[in-house]
Amino acid sequence: MTALAHAAVDPGADPAAPAPRATKRSWTAYVLLLPGALWLGVFFLLPLVQLASVSLQSRYPGFPGYYYRDVNLDNYASALTDYAPHFARSFLYAGLATLLAFVVAYPLAYAMAFKAGRWRNLMMICVIAPFFTSFILRTFAWSQILADEGWVAGTLNFLHLLPGGNIINTPVAVIAGLTYNFLPFMVLPIYASLERADPRVIEAGGDLYANGFTTFRTVTLPMSMPGVLAGTLLTFIPAAGDFVNMELLGPQRGKMVGNVINDQFLAIPGGYPVAAALSFTLMAAILVMVFLYVRRFGTEELV
Amino acid sequence: MAGFREASGDLQLESVTKTFGDFTAVDDIDLHVPRGSFFALLGPSGCGKTTTLRMIAGLEQPTAGRVLIGDTDLTGSRPYERPVNTVFQSYALFPHLNIRDNVAFGPKRRKAADTAKRTDDALELVQMSGFATRKPSQLSGGQQQRVALARALVNHPEVLLLDEPLGALDLKLRREMQVELKRIQTEVGLTFIHVTHDQEEAMTMADTVAVMNRGHIEQLGAPAALYDLPRTRFVANFLGQANTGVGIIKDTDGDHIVADVLGTPVKILKSRSQVHDGEVLFGVRPEKVTVSRTQPEGAGNDVKGVVRDVSFLGVATSYLVDMPSGTTWSCYEQNLDVEPLDLRPGDEVWLTWNAGHAFGVPA
Ligand SMILES: Nc1ncnc2c1ncn2[C@@H]1O[C@H](COP(=O)(O)OP(=O)(O)O)[C@@H](O)[C@H]1O
Ligand SMILES: [Mg+2]
Repeated sequence: MTALAHAAVDPGADPAAPAPRATKRSWTAYVLLLPGALWLGVFFLLPLVQLASVSLQSRYPGFPGYYYRDVNLDNYASALTDYAPHFARSFLYAGLATLLAFVVAYPLAYAMAFKAGRWRNLMMICVIAPFFTSFILRTFAWSQILADEGWVAGTLNFLHLLPGGNIINTPVAVIAGLTYNFLPFMVLPIYASLERADPRVIEAGGDLYANGFTTFRTVTLPMSMPGVLAGTLLTFIPAAGDFVNMELLGPQRGKMVGNVINDQFLAIPGGYPVAAALSFTLMAAILVMVFLYVRRFGTEELV
Repeated sequence: MAGFREASGDLQLESVTKTFGDFTAVDDIDLHVPRGSFFALLGPSGCGKTTTLRMIAGLEQPTAGRVLIGDTDLTGSRPYERPVNTVFQSYALFPHLNIRDNVAFGPKRRKAADTAKRTDDALELVQMSGFATRKPSQLSGGQQQRVALARALVNHPEVLLLDEPLGALDLKLRREMQVELKRIQTEVGLTFIHVTHDQEEAMTMADTVAVMNRGHIEQLGAPAALYDLPRTRFVANFLGQANTGVGIIKDTDGDHIVADVLGTPVKILKSRSQVHDGEVLFGVRPEKVTVSRTQPEGAGNDVKGVVRDVSFLGVATSYLVDMPSGTTWSCYEQNLDVEPLDLRPGDEVWLTWNAGHAFGVPA
């Protein structure tokens, strides 16, 4: 902030002399940063502080829905103990969905980047097209596709391939929904990094005695790692906090942490502090996981 | 899928053609490159040099014809099956690997027992040992070029293909690398096929130069021979400068033909002219032309012109002279005398040359 104030004031400090170039340029940079900084401050930082304060508040006994300012760490204790299974489920389902999305997305992105030719733009439109309808509507559609009366469950039951008898209201449906909903976020960064790769570099692998598969393993895949990293993060992070897929496709019991937060905020009187504590715990857990993950697989030229 | 093909000997292209759709990029090329020679493929941009190299490397398959090394027919085999390595035009280093791993890539794939030592030696050869742990993005263009060279050389290929390897370097670095490449080629004794559009580069480095134009080879030979006796108009103009004029062959005079170039009779040795009747493009190199103030006696091949421009270059002086035919000739005179000719634009001069130095190509 001092730098900003200083830079903003500097050109006027000596009105007689024209401002030196370097000063002028850094001043421009701050002006350009201003809308973004304001946006972050008002819509991210402020709510975050508010949420942090709520997460430490205590309920007024006997007055559901009323709190007083406090430093009550019980909310966090409750988040970590009572809701540990929900966290575990969230990360497991999100992890599986990320893995599945990767398995589906990579070949798709590869085909788009290297094999599609003139179909490339059409494929790109197909990947983006789902965004033209609402997330909730599409998930509703899936609840019908996967319903017991639907053809998917019908066919599988007919072939005796469905041990439980149904798909809807099972974790499988939730993972399928998460995979489906976040697939474009996996495809697009991987496609971008593959598309940017110099085809000559991939040819160089062949020229240096690597056959098709070895070239893929030692050249193409590593070169697309920034995209894979971005794609997995863009899938895992929202999937871990998601509650819509569980709500619409999942079982009654065995919810994810997103559903608990949703319920605590909206359904349970006086649930605000616990919901806020759960939100913070989720955020911290994701940050730690992302940090470890990027440390392990990240490259210096991220994305 | 066949495995790696051991092959040794001369590189041979037999009637190789490559078409893309209805465009013929390489048109029925025959080439014989002796083992261990430094061979340059010279031609303007778009003439099919890269396509030719890619067919030798196996990155592209010929539409017709065969590619052989020694007696082994490599046509149809994959790049990784060929004892051929490429230094790509854009270097194409692996961005995710450091320099050492880039160079070690080939030996590792072939499971060479002495990968580490070979990598060290190759880096040593191109003087890049100090950069082994850097990433390609941390190197300058010239350094990347050296790494690309090491990455190919480390495999001791039977044939090394270099696609305009010096094209992206500035002039000074390019001259240095020309000497360096020549040294390395002499040291390792491999067949080098060096693609370039820079005629000076081709002539200074190569044992044999093939001049390519529009998908076919115009002429092939030692640099001096190509320069001295071009056989096509394209080669005459692409390789060095030539003073030319279109003439009609009128007569013969012993060993010579006599052509009429816009009223001036010029003689060309029969053995140095590709055409012996009809139209001919007469040519003589700038340094073969002598400039004098007065008409020399008895020479026969002389024309009077008007000086347009004089450039003093130190060791030599270069003149541009307007000819009666309307063309401008360039003449290059070594400054052997203490007092050189003091010519100025507008002066009338006589140009003469030894008839034995002139050449004739199809007009
Ligand atoms: N894959 C391709 N598809 C269509 N045309 C191509 C392809 N590769 C090269 N060409 C054409 O072939 C010609 C020769 O190209 P190239 O061998 O790269 O020339 P050079 O290396 O001599 O500059 C060019 O006109 C180029 O446009
Ligand atoms: Mg080229």
